[in-house]
Formats: sequence, C-alpha cells, structure tokens
Amino acid sequence: MSEASSRKLSDDLLRPLLETSWRFYALVAFLGSIVLMGLCTWAYQMYMGFGMTGINNPIFWAFYITNFVFWIGISHAGTLISAILRLVNAGWRRPVTRCAEVITAFALMIGAMFPIIHLGRPWLFFWLVPYPNSRLIWPNFRSPLVWDFFAITTYLTGSVLFLVLPMIPDFALVRDRTTGMRHKIYGALALGWQGTPKQWHRLESAMSIMAIAIIPVAVSVHTIVSFDFSMAPVPMWHSTMFGPYFVAGAIFSGIAGLIIAMAALRKFLHLEEYLHPVHFQNLGKLLLMMSLLWGYFVFAERLTVWYGNESAEIAVLRVTQTGSFAPLYWTMVVVNFVIPVSILSIKRLRTIAGCVVASFGVLVGMWLERFLIVVPSLGHKYLPYSWGTYRPRPVELLITASTFAAMCLLYTLFAKFVPIISIWELKVGEQEPFETAKERSARVLGEARP
Amino acid sequence: MSAVYALYSSPDAAQRAVNGLYAAGIAQADVVVMSGEPFEAQPFAHRDSATWLWYIACLGGFVGLVFSTWLTRMTELAWPLQTGNMPIVAWWPNLIVIFELTMLGAILATVLTLFVTAKLPGRLPKLYDPEVTNGKILVGVENPSAATLPALERALMAGGAAELKRS
Amino acid sequence: MAHKWGMAVDLDTCTGCGACVTACHAENNIPTVGDEQAARGRAMHWLRVERYWEGDFPDVRLKFRPVMCQQCDAAPCEPVCPTYASHHTAEGLNAQVYNRCIGTRYCANACPYNVRFFDFFNPQWPKPLHLQLNPDVSIREVGVMEKCTFCVQRISAASIDAKAEKRELKDGDIKPACVQSCSARAMVFGDLNDPESEVSRLSRSPRGGKLLEDVGTLPKVTYLARQTQV
Repeated sequence: MSEASSRKLSDDLLRPLLETSWRFYALVAFLGSIVLMGLCTWAYQMYMGFGMTGINNPIFWAFYITNFVFWIGISHAGTLISAILRLVNAGWRRPVTRCAEVITAFALMIGAMFPIIHLGRPWLFFWLVPYPNSRLIWPNFRSPLVWDFFAITTYLTGSVLFLVLPMIPDFALVRDRTTGMRHKIYGALALGWQGTPKQWHRLESAMSIMAIAIIPVAVSVHTIVSFDFSMAPVPMWHSTMFGPYFVAGAIFSGIAGLIIAMAALRKFLHLEEYLHPVHFQNLGKLLLMMSLLWGYFVFAERLTVWYGNESAEIAVLRVTQTGSFAPLYWTMVVVNFVIPVSILSIKRLRTIAGCVVASFGVLVGMWLERFLIVVPSLGHKYLPYSWGTYRPRPVELLITASTFAAMCLLYTLFAKFVPIISIWELKVGEQEPFETAKERSARVLGEARP
Repeated sequence: MSAVYALYSSPDAAQRAVNGLYAAGIAQADVVVMSGEPFEAQPFAHRDSATWLWYIACLGGFVGLVFSTWLTRMTELAWPLQTGNMPIVAWWPNLIVIFELTMLGAILATVLTLFVTAKLPGRLPKLYDPEVTNGKILVGVENPSAATLPALERALMAGGAAELKRS
Repeated sequence: MAHKWGMAVDLDTCTGCGACVTACHAENNIPTVGDEQAARGRAMHWLRVERYWEGDFPDVRLKFRPVMCQQCDAAPCEPVCPTYASHHTAEGLNAQVYNRCIGTRYCANACPYNVRFFDFFNPQWPKPLHLQLNPDVSIREVGVMEKCTFCVQRISAASIDAKAEKRELKDGDIKPACVQSCSARAMVFGDLNDPESEVSRLSRSPRGGKLLEDVGTLPKVTYLARQTQV
C-alpha cells in the first residue's frame, strides 16, 4: 500500500493509545467502582459464610455455575475468528482478530474465577493442582472438575499466547512512534523486535501452529465444562448430547459478544474506516447459522425427553415448558431464536444496529439457557420429597453484575494500551495480491493488447 | 561507521537492492532486511524460512503426552482410593487430562522455540531505523569493509532509494 | 472376609415417629439450623422420614420412609469429588473426609437420594447445648459436605474392642444411633458379607427392594415393603 495510506492507518489505530479524553477516565472510574464492589461482596461472602447466597438443598449450584459456563462460552469468540478464519484464509478476519482474541482471554480469566467463588472453602482451591505435598493426596483425575482445571489452564495459556504473540510487532510500531516513558515501556514489551524476514517467518509459523492447536482445545474446553453436568445422574443432565450442544452454544454466545464489542469500538474509537458494515454482515450470517444450530440442538434434546416419557425427566421438562420456569424458558426461546433469525435472515435488517440488537438478545438468552440447564434439574431430581426452589440473593446478583463490569473495564483498558486492531496484519491484507510470473505476464500483456 | 543502509517504499525496489548487494559479492547472511510487515511475493522474504518449528511442536506435544500419562497413572496408583464402580486407573477420564496436557506441551514448545529462534527478547541492534514501522523496508550491510563500500552504495542507490544512510 | 456393612428397614413396622432422626442428630453433632434457614431448605437431617400423601380426603393414603445415605457400591458421589473427600472404604462405606472437602458440592448434585448436606454457616451450640456434643464425632466447619456414615464411630469402636479382646464381631454388636433408638425395631444393621446375619437374611426377603434401584447406584439399604395400608 502507499506510504501515505500506511501512515494514516498507523495514525488512526494508534490514536486511542496516544490521546485520552475525560470520558475514558470517567468510564474507568465507573466500571472500576462496580468491580471493587464485586470484590468486596466476595470478601463479605467468604467472611460471613457461603450461606449468604441463595444456594440450598437440593439446588447446590445456581448463579455462580451459570456464570462460569456463560463466560467460558463467551470465550469461544476469539478462537472461532482468530484461529478458524486464519486457517481458511478469510481476509475479512484481519481487523477483527485482535478484538476477538481479547474477548477470549478476558472472558476466560473471568470465567475461571467462578469455580473459586462458588467453593465452600475457596482458600483451598489450590488442592486441585497436582503437586507433591505433605497431605499425601493427589487430585482425583476422575472428577470433571479436575478436567475443568486442566482444560481451562491449557486454553487460557494458549489463548493468552495467541493474543500476545502478534502484539509484538505492533508494540514495535508504538515504540518507534513514541518518546519518553512510553517509548521505554513499549520498547521493553516489543522484546527488541526488528522485523527481519526470519522473525516474521517464525512468528507466522508459530501462529499457524497455535491456530491449529487452539481449535481442538477450545472444543474440548466447553465439552469438558458440559461434562460437569452430563457425568451426574441428574434428570435432563445425563444427556449424551451435552458436549456438542454446549460447544455450539459457546460459539453462538461468543459471536454475539464479539459483535457487541466491535460495534462499541467502532463507535467510540472512530474506527468506521476499518470495521465496515460487511464485517458485521458476515458475523451476522454466522450468528444466524449458530442460532439455527442452537435451535436444532434444543429441539432434538427436548423431543427425545418428551418422547421417551421417563418420569423424572418429564418432571423437569414440564417445569421449564409450562411450570414455574416457563416465563424464563420462553423468553430464552424468543431472544435466542425467534428474534435473531428474524432480524439476521433479512438482508435489509442485517445492519450493524440489527446485528447488535440480535446479539444483546443472544447474550441474555444464552445466560438464561445456562441457568435453565442448572437450576430446574437440580430442583427436581428423583425423590419429589426433596424438590426445591431457588431465588438469588444480593451477593450473587452483585458479583454477577461486577463480572460484566470487569469485562468492560478490562476491555477498555486494553484498547487504551494496545492497538485494538492488529496493524501489521491489516497492512498485510492491503498488500498487492501475490501473482505468479505467468499471471503477471498475462495481465501485463493482456492490457497491452488494443 | 558500523553500517550502511537505505530505505525503500516498495518491496520490488527492496528486492532490486538485495539482488544488487548479492552481485556486489555480499553473502546472503550478511544482508540485513527489516520491514514493518511480512511479504509473501518477494524472494528476500523467504530467506531463513527453513524451520524445525513444526517438528518441535510435535515433540512438545509428545512430551506432554508422556508426562500426563505418567502423572495420572502414577498418582492413581500411589494412593489407590476406590471411587464409584470405577477402576483405580481409570483410562477414560485420564485420556481427557492427557489430551489437554499434550496440547499444552505443543503450544509451549512452539512459543519457546519462537522466542529462541527469533532471538526474543533481545536488544535492538545498532542497524535499525524507526521508519521501518512506518512502512519502509530497510536493506543494509553491517560493518562493510572500506574496499567494498562504493560497490555497496551503488547497489543500494540503484534499487531506487531516496538517500543513503549510515549509522 | 472383610465386612460389608448394610441396613434393612421394615416399612411395615416403621411408625414414622422420627426417634431415629433425633437420635442421629444427637449422636453425630448435627446442628439445628434454625427456622429461617430450614424454611430456605437448608435443614440438615442426615436421616429423614420422607412422607407422601396420595389421594383426597377422606381417602388419603400416607406413605413414609426413612431415608439415609445408602452407602452405594456404585456411588455417583465418589468419582466426582476433585479431592477424594468422598471415596469408598474397604468395608463398603462411602467415606466423607471433612478435612479434604473444599465444598464444590458436586457430590450433592450427583446423589440421586439428596442425602448429602452442606454446612452453610459455622454451626453454633449456645451454652449449655455444647454439653450435649458427642466427643467421638468431629464438628464440621462452614463450607464442607457431610452425610450419614452408618455411625462409623460406633463401628470403629466396636471393631477396636473386638480386636483388643481377641474375638470376632457378632451380629448385633454394632447398632448405629437410629437402629438403637427405633421403638418399633424396624431398622436392622449388620454385615452383608455374613450370610447368617439378620440384615443379610432381610436383604434376601421377597418383600425387599432398594430405593431408586433403576438409577444403578447399587445401594446397600434394603426396604421391606409395607403390607398394610394406612
């Protein structure tokens, strides 16, 4: 690309780093205070005892596990965009890839907090780490919770590295454009990157390997999270379909989260020239496809339960379709399936605004879906004498709200300190297409003919 | 002076300069090229492209596989506790942990090898120009001998550089 | 041969009086959670008497059954505990090790009988109630799971006494608190590996059945079906 446009690209995408308005500080202060409140609430819960939550007998898992599955699900956005689209050489992924990977990394960090928050004795969570110790006991590798620990550790490590490695050349760019303390810090972060062909080649090879490696890991992570449920003999949990169902749901909610993040960045960082409506339309088509897939899974599961007529499962099915959970269930169906399919299948409605509306609906719907998997089944197990109900208490609501604030806060801070669009990858996308000698001579000679 | 170099606006111009330097007798390993983005089309971008990275990644995965198989089996036998109707060494659950640690081994091996072979973290060398990240391509030679200097300068200017620089 | 502890409950003889529930509380230092927490579903009755009413007045039929941990041979609560706090002993009991429990509560979700209980708060025994505590049983702190142990402290004590006196354990030597306190003598405890013990005999009774047998947990409590209608 021409030098002028390359410079403009760098200027536009570095502007958020170099210029700060009062709105940034206000936003950080607001979000930070909510996050602080969440942390204090958690400390309060640990001090007063886990009884401060709404958990009871038999509903021993509720909001925190719902949040855990929800956030791990959101984290599948990055893998889909960065890894899968990279492997199929989809050029339109270039402006979107870092936005998506950031969502993955932060959603994983937030999601990984919840298995600790929901413990009765959270200060002992490190007992899941297999290291030689004086307790003479190892973790139980047969437990899906231990599988969770390994899966999330692997996925988090892989995702963070996948995010950080292509940031190195961009840190070099910022190093070269700044002076003073910024120059020193970004210089350190750039690790002395020069941009020799050897370095570029190694970086791109490493990214290809990581892309191939991270996809099966992502699939396995949400499958293992689904195993937390399907390994227990609880009505409507013990389903063989949970693995693929959860992975599809994760990708679904991940794309929705990505669309919202991209729309926000485009508006607040003035990235209209780099995030085009076609990007949103492509993601909107993916969201439509995932909505249909989600609908298919839900239909298949419920038809099987209804047709099979096993009394314990029918009790759970009934309580979600027509009983006390019916309002939540039908809301979920509307915002997860009816509204997204309606908006996204009509090209005129598949605008940026339309995609964002559909995505907000999907986020609400997917949170409800997780909740409706966890709580109704636990409340209606095999012995009706022990059936129960659940109502969330303030600690759970506050901690849940603070995780959403934490995600926004981390994202805002990231966009302030790192270019949110991968500058060098975008430049590669703008390069002249690679022609072979034959193609070039055909083009040149073809043009020369009158 | 420790280096002479020039900046080029297009990859084709840089390739011409590189070819000129080879013709002037500079060895491939002594020609320094730096750019702000990777290039596919030009031969200069494909130097040093032979790499063992894929094999090392597989090796890292293998190490992860062996380690996790040993870890799960050893810990289950070291303190054998009966749970449910499952065997003491339960292969189905172990496979899940083995899979995860295999992938982790591959990923870590890849990243470590990247850092080692790309010499990261490292110091920025003397021969560097911030214009590289502005879209220019740097082609130069470090520590040129006085005898070859005029030939080098001609080769670099013939590539179409605006000016010659020294550092 | 190693012992395999089991129980039998005669639902015909059981009057549903609840003495077993009270005895269990007393023997095992189970806290009473208070009316507000009990209303929220957090009562901790390791042994409970389940009651079901069928039909409308005046044709109401009542069914009741004491339910405690069934010490399943294929317990779903055991493989899911990440810290081995729930595991199977050589004598067939499902052990709950309070010190290893970090409170994930997965075992409680996996249990089809809902017989596992969580300490939501640190239990309190305002003076002079602390004098009633059984010194043979540990107090559980907030955040751990607990459940019926077939009064393992009584099993251990009897086994140690028998070993010290160099004799074998006889059927009837060990009586968990519920068995001991049942006024109708509806509950029986013993060694299922001893074909002559009363519990073995009752487990082979044609009236005998297991609770939620089709879930596949292999429970070790035999319920003898009620033959009279209430």
